Amino acid sequence: MVGFDTATADTAVCSTRGGMAMHEERLGLGPDGSPRHSTALLVEVERAAAAVGGWGAVDRIAVGLGPGSFVGIRIAIATARGLAASTGLPVTGVCTLDAVGHAAGEAVGPARPCLAVLDARRGEAFAALYSSDGSRLWEPFVAAPAELADRVGALPQPPLAAGSGAIRFRDELASRDVEVPGDADPVHRVAARHLCALAEAGAGVVGDPLDPIYLRPPDAQRWRERNDVKTTE
Amino acid sequence: MSASEREQSTRAQLLLALETSCDDTCAAVLDGPRVLANTISSQAAAHAQFGGVVPEVASRHHLELAAPVVEAALGEAGATLDDVGSVAVTAGPGLIGALLVGVSTAKAIAAPRRLPLIPIDHLQGHVAANFLEPEPLQPPFLCLLASGGHTLLAAVRDHAGHEVLGQTLDDAAGEAFDKVARLLGLGYPGGPALEKLAREGDPAAFEMPVAMSRDPGLDFSFSGLKTALVYLCRDLGPDGVNERRADLAASFQAAAVGQLVAKLERALKRGDWQAVALGGGVAANGPLREAAREACERNGATLKLVGLELCTDNAAMIGSAARFAEPIPYPDYLAYDAFATKPAADGPIRQRIVDVS
Ligand SMILES: [Zn+2]
Repeated sequence: MVGFDTATADTAVCSTRGGMAMHEERLGLGPDGSPRHSTALLVEVERAAAAVGGWGAVDRIAVGLGPGSFVGIRIAIATARGLAASTGLPVTGVCTLDAVGHAAGEAVGPARPCLAVLDARRGEAFAALYSSDGSRLWEPFVAAPAELADRVGALPQPPLAAGSGAIRFRDELASRDVEVPGDADPVHRVAARHLCALAEAGAGVVGDPLDPIYLRPPDAQRWRERNDVKTTE
Repeated sequence: MSASEREQSTRAQLLLALETSCDDTCAAVLDGPRVLANTISSQAAAHAQFGGVVPEVASRHHLELAAPVVEAALGEAGATLDDVGSVAVTAGPGLIGALLVGVSTAKAIAAPRRLPLIPIDHLQGHVAANFLEPEPLQPPFLCLLASGGHTLLAAVRDHAGHEVLGQTLDDAAGEAFDKVARLLGLGYPGGPALEKLAREGDPAAFEMPVAMSRDPGLDFSFSGLKTALVYLCRDLGPDGVNERRADLAASFQAAAVGQLVAKLERALKRGDWQAVALGGGVAANGPLREAAREACERNGATLKLVGLELCTDNAAMIGSAARFAEPIPYPDYLAYDAFATKPAADGPIRQRIVDVS
């Protein structure tokens, strides 16, 4: 299986055989400070496919559907659909929060729930909550940090939080006794092998439509207001 | 069949082209200069409520439509990817989020099959629409491109490129048509409705600013014209605008067409041009076609008009440009990136980019 995700600042790619990671790569921001999704993704995907013997030896593609960067999600899904059209392989879409939750669950063991939090920009967070057995307790949602903290505060047991949003909103989460591992802990970054593991376990959406998980409508209203100002100035 | 066998296949001679630079999701299949399929999925309805193209809305639609449109084009051509020998895609300029969907899709289709990728400049695509069958136009010729995204006058001396002689310094011509149509309550896209309404109006009813008339260059400007309409409508009030909509439409259209053709004629007089081509969505405008034809006649040139489906954004024109462009062999294009604007050295091309994510 070849799996990849570009919903966060990272470009995460992996190929697995029988559940074992054969090739895994995770590239952070480029030298110009912006994500390397459009330039690095296909390079790494081709490397990952080659590492397991080429596309002929691959039997499934797994792709992160978001939530996260709108542009990043589209690069990943457009790439997955293009590869699927080219190779005839089936594609499984996996929620990026699920991959983060899966990684956190592995790190923390079966002791307690895990909160996956991604930075949604504009001061908001994308989040979902997972039980100790990995099942979803909260469906993915977008919220301001205060609202997220209130929801977490109402839980019977404070979870462990992982993801770029857990770092960004560390203070808000810590005020509700949520444990957030150190900023450098790999648990905060998306690892494509967790995407593959979830797809292998049949957790994701199979085949088309591989609907992106945006969780936020296009900001057309703001654009319209701007446009009106421009027209009447 | 393995990838290497596919590479050897002699059937693999068709060219697949994608275009997603603005609000139309397009794919085409070409056999040399022959267009086997030219599929366009317009998003106009999705953008109508906003009176213009909203980049994030466009990008979302492109993602939903890109794969089905490619499939539809191959189906219409009676072909499969096994028959395709190269993949062309619009690399820019345009809305970056929209372009990235097309470029990501094209690269991912090409890579596992080890096909070459041919990135194409969108404006060269418009120029190359004239190279297609059934009546390919041979360079040299002058090309006037006017659409919602661009307005420029180009010298086409060979098949491989074009030289920009003049371009808009602010709004694109089609953008001005759309904005004025919106002021007159005509919806989006407003060009055809505005043209229809203008037929009932007096083009001399209102005095319009003559933009760039004293400028000896070949650049265009449409923002002054648009602003003049905004003020006129304000002065007339809603009832007054309603009463004189046709006159407003006719006056605006005459001024816009007048400017486009004045620059075209100036360019004709400066060089020894035998042929002129019109492109872009505004090329569908009847009065523009008529005025351009008269200008050509006065200057001993002939006017070439391609079908409307090749004037507006489409992928067949991208495939046409690709026939004369350098293919990038696998794997050299894996890191290829889309570009929103041309490098500054090529002059400013205004893009309507709004980062909304
Ligand atoms: Zn165009």
